Order: sequence, then structure tokens, then C-alpha cells
Amino acid sequence: MGPLDDQVVRADALTATPDGLDIAVHSHWYRALPLPSLARVDLTVDGQRVDPATLAVTVNGHRYAFAELAERGDEYWFTTDPVVLHTPVATGTGREHRVQLLLGLSIPYILTGPDRVPLVAPSSTDKTLTATGARP
Amino acid sequence: MTTTGPGLPRLGTTLFSLTLEQRRPGRDLRSLVAEVAARDLGPGLEMVAFQSLRGWPRLDDAAVAEVRDVVEGSGLVPSCLAINNDLGQYPGRLLSDDESHDYVAVQLRGAAALGFPVTRVGVETSPAILERLLPLAESLGIAVGVEIHAPLTIDAPPVAALKELFTRLDTPLLGFIPDMSSSMRAVPAAVHDAHRAAGIDPQVTAVAEQLWAEPGATAEKFPELERRAAAAGATPAQVGNLKMLFTMHGRMAPERWAEFFPHVVHVHGKFYGVEQGPDGLTDPSIDWPAVARVLVEQGYTGFISSEYEAHAYSDRHSAFDQLRAQHDMLAGLFAAQTPVAAR
Repeated sequence: MGPLDDQVVRADALTATPDGLDIAVHSHWYRALPLPSLARVDLTVDGQRVDPATLAVTVNGHRYAFAELAERGDEYWFTTDPVVLHTPVATGTGREHRVQLLLGLSIPYILTGPDRVPLVAPSSTDKTLTATGARP
Repeated sequence: MTTTGPGLPRLGTTLFSLTLEQRRPGRDLRSLVAEVAARDLGPGLEMVAFQSLRGWPRLDDAAVAEVRDVVEGSGLVPSCLAINNDLGQYPGRLLSDDESHDYVAVQLRGAAALGFPVTRVGVETSPAILERLLPLAESLGIAVGVEIHAPLTIDAPPVAALKELFTRLDTPLLGFIPDMSSSMRAVPAAVHDAHRAAGIDPQVTAVAEQLWAEPGATAEKFPELERRAAAAGATPAQVGNLKMLFTMHGRMAPERWAEFFPHVVHVHGKFYGVEQGPDGLTDPSIDWPAVARVLVEQGYTGFISSEYEAHAYSDRHSAFDQLRAQHDMLAGLFAAQTPVAAR
């Protein structure tokens, strides 16, 4: 619900690769977060939901299966860095895609309720963008 | 120079104010710190370690040297390093007490290596952990302050437990960090921008604001908020946004900050907008004349970090301009007071 929400998926976020559509995602939180904080990635591309089990994520130069992030609590996603979601969505350079993303970041120092559960801070994106070609 | 006289609080800035600025192309820590100095927004410099320092909480020697060089080269004075106790770092469980202690201890050592005299933790760091950290803080000569941020007030049970601890240990290395979010007199205008952008009907915002301004504890207002907001047509997601208004903005009387003294190690000059009024610069949502009176009457000579947070809601105003306005306003308010030592 603030200016950083509009930067989660930026105008140049989409890259067409031979393996599918890559989506660069920036954090809407003000500080670096442990990788398990990337708790919820509800992604729909062109109306088709993308199963998180099919996602790979590149962060800090390492590529992880989405589920592996939960085991990387000692590694941090820095404030100004994008993570890249690798999706199996077929694409090509110049193709337009509608990207709907509900990103839920688990905030490890804000505990809520009687069970002291980390707050999940949501950010919602709905943009239609054009994929550029992968850089050689 | 916007400096304050002897016996008065000293001004400063936290880089958290520049959260949006940090994301602009070409920005880095060095350029942000240099601009704070060039715009005379010191002398105190605070930052959030996890926001500003790549590699935190484990900086290598080269990174420590680089950060020290940035700060020393700016001429600013390190005032406070905000650190975090990430109890929910791993999914499905919270850190044990030992893990929590060690997680903060690593950051205390890091803050000391960078030359900060004070660290800030949140209220999730329990009194028992704070007491365990005291010997390390003593050996490093660094203070640990617990931030009192909305929705906390002097009446919150965790605050009473902290006050008991600080009174019993009576050390200058453990204390409170008042944050003015806890003592606001109005909901900031920036909230209206954010609600409009989120498609929340201004009438729904008005219903929530009215309830916010009524007497009573924040947590006890949530059921009533849900009822009134739903009746006004708010969706469940919008009710979530409205609840933020209650957790981010507290209604404690600013005079009650006096009750946190003498155990105050740093102050957060949280604000959401300073504007030109008929009698000069004023803050519609925070009663700074009352805050300034408390700080001066208590003989507080530490730093007050200007912490502009309207960026969470709106990018309508320049954070640098807002920091300038708050510094000018505070300098005027402090100058109008007589330091306790001089009375």
C-alpha cells in the first residue's frame, strides 16, 4: 500500500529465455530479509496460475528451487537487489504478458497474535509488460 | 549549521528516511551519507543495518573499513545502528533464547566495529535476553536501546517489564528509544494518499480515523473497526490496511515520554510531514513543542534522529526537503528552551 509496491515488478522485469519467462522481482520491504521470507508467491501469467513447485528463483547469484528457499534462513535478500523468478511460461522477445503477482513477505521480527507468528506483508501487482530478450 | 546549543538534544538523521531515495539508480551508501552531510542534516547519523549494509550481520573486514570510511569521510557522527532480532528467521519456529541472544550478540559486535555507540532492537528482544547481553555491551562499550514504537505505549505490559529491568540494572547501556509514532495527535495526511491509491473509499478512511481518535486501547478497537468498516463497505483486504493505521500510529500523550526517563539512550524523531503553518513550521500529526519540552526538561542531550516515514504511504514529498523542514522546526523549538543545566 505504498510507493514500493509499484516497484515490485518494474517495466523491464520480463526476460524471454529459451526455458521460459523470467520475472525480476524487487522487495516492497525496506530491509534485507532472510530467504524464507519469500513465503508466498501467487503468480498468474496471462490468466494461468504458475505452480510454485515449477518455479526456480535466482538470488545472490544462486539458483534455487522455490521450496529450497525455506531452508536458507542464514542467507539474505538485500534491499535493492531483484530476485528472478524463472517460470516455465512459453514466451519470446517482444511478447506481452499480463503478470499478476501476490507477493507475501514473512517479516521475521514482527510477530503477531497469541501464537507469535511472523507478519506476512502482502504486495499485489497486476501489470501487462513486454519481455525483452535474454542478454547474451 | 543546524546545531543545537549545549545542554540540548542533538539533531541527526536516519537513512531509513531515504528508503525511496535508496532505490534510485546510481544510489549507494556513500552517496546517501554524503548527501545527508551536504544538506546539513546531521550531525548524528543512524541507519538500519539490514537496510543499508550489504552482507549484514556478518561484514568482513573490508566491508567494515569501507563503511567506516564512508561515515568518517562525511563528517557525520555515528549515533545509532538499528539492528534486528529476527525471531522468525526460520519457517515454522521461533529462535530459541540462545539463538536469539547469539543473533543479537553478533550484531552488537558488528555495530561496535563500525563505531556506533548505540544499537536499537525491538520489543521482541526479551528482558532476559537484554540482561544476558549486558556483559557483552559493557565489554564493547555500546548501548542497547529498545524502541518504543506504536502500538506500544507506557501502559503496555512489555514496557512495564522493560522499565523494571532498566530500573533494577540502572546502567547507561540499557534503555529505551522513544519513537514518536506512539504519541500522535492525528493520522498523517500521507495515509489519505495511500488509501486513495489502494482504492479505499475516503468515507471508509474517515470512519477508521474517527475510531482512531476515540479514547481506548488500540487492540480493543479492532472488533469495532471491523464492524464499522464493513458497514461502510470496506473489503476484508481494505480492513487489513485500515488496521495498519491503528498499529502504526499511537495516541499516547507526548508528556508521558517523561516516564521513560532516565532510561533513554536515543530518540527517534519519527514524523510524516512538516508544513508551513501560520506560526511557522508545524507537524499536524505530532505535537513537537510538547515533545521538545519533555526532552529538555529531562536533560536529554543525546541524539534525536529525524525519521521520515511518509514514504511508506506516498512519494509526493521529497524526503530531503522534509528532513530539512523538521530539522529547522526542531532547532527552533530547542533554541526556545532553557537547558536544565543552565537553570
